[in-house]
Amino acid sequence: MPRMREQLTALVPWDGLEWALRLVLAGLFLYASADKIIHPKDFAVIVKAYHILPDPLANLTALWLPWLEVVVGACLFMGLWTDGALTLATGLLAVFWVALIVNYFRGIDVSCGCFTTSAEEKAPMLWYIGRDALLLALALFAVEARRRAGQAAQG
Amino acid sequence: MRLVPRLLLQSLAILAVSAVLALGVNFIRPDGPAPVLAAPSAVQLTKNGGVIGIKDAAMLFITGRAVFLDARSQFEYQQGHVQGAISLPPREFASQYQDIKPSLAGKEAVITYCDGELCPLSHNLSKLLREAGVKNVYVLVNGWSLWQAEKLPIAKGTAPQGSAGQSDGKPSGKSAASGQSAASAKAGKSAKSAGQGGICRECENN
Repeated sequence: MPRMREQLTALVPWDGLEWALRLVLAGLFLYASADKIIHPKDFAVIVKAYHILPDPLANLTALWLPWLEVVVGACLFMGLWTDGALTLATGLLAVFWVALIVNYFRGIDVSCGCFTTSAEEKAPMLWYIGRDALLLALALFAVEARRRAGQAAQG
Repeated sequence: MRLVPRLLLQSLAILAVSAVLALGVNFIRPDGPAPVLAAPSAVQLTKNGGVIGIKDAAMLFITGRAVFLDARSQFEYQQGHVQGAISLPPREFASQYQDIKPSLAGKEAVITYCDGELCPLSHNLSKLLREAGVKNVYVLVNGWSLWQAEKLPIAKGTAPQGSAGQSDGKPSGKSAASGQSAASAKAGKSAKSAGQGGICRECENN
């Protein structure tokens, strides 16, 4: 069985998979940043509503985070500083996920602020948590694909 | 380069580039920079005193963050004044200041007022206070007229000079306090309740 698994793994085009996953993540991050950059004050309100950061830090985060998403997305798209960009993308998604879960258990119903700053597009917390879990899994899979692609290139 | 140092360097580079972009773009936005730090208060006072608007004065009054000094004559003060204000005509500053000094401690603003756009008394009092070392003095120009026009809490009656209008309990001047003696009112205690008068019905004749 382990031998068969190795053979199957060898058949997977990890470099192509890594490239495709990177592009998906890049698109997600670039798309997610747009509305936040256009409406920084609305995004600041959303960040504050998480009740995790003190006000000044929440404000700074609202200014910085969308641009971090832009640079991460651009790096993933262009294949520049890819290891760092993938790590940050995964880290950011993990932080968002934990923040949502923490607030879910605190009973604070927040607007995600993940892709839009509009309060009208609010969904249940569990939907946000589930969606973020999928995105986090996607990012982790991209990291793994990159690792395997690197191994395949060396071997 | 090994993986971990490479990851760290690249991550730091991305963080730095994004920070520069965020701050740079924020300051050249067509709609002006979004605030980097949250405003601590809706009332933005200049550090070294000056003139204060009626909205800011009212906000500080409601939240008990200011002490109001009535620079008009005792007679005018008795006819009506900002609820909780302390009577301190400039000509009596020398004799009264030491008594009211404790009332000014811990307040964000000391607001002087008189009546009329060109009334000099509040400015004179403000100058005397500044000379005495009080920095956070603000003049509410035409204060008494504006205060009445906005139907903000007022009181009538006597109050000893150099102490807050502790007899000022009535929230509106229409049914003014009838000049109860406030001789026992201590300046510090009076000032504490002064700013709360606008919304505090329990502050009457404490």
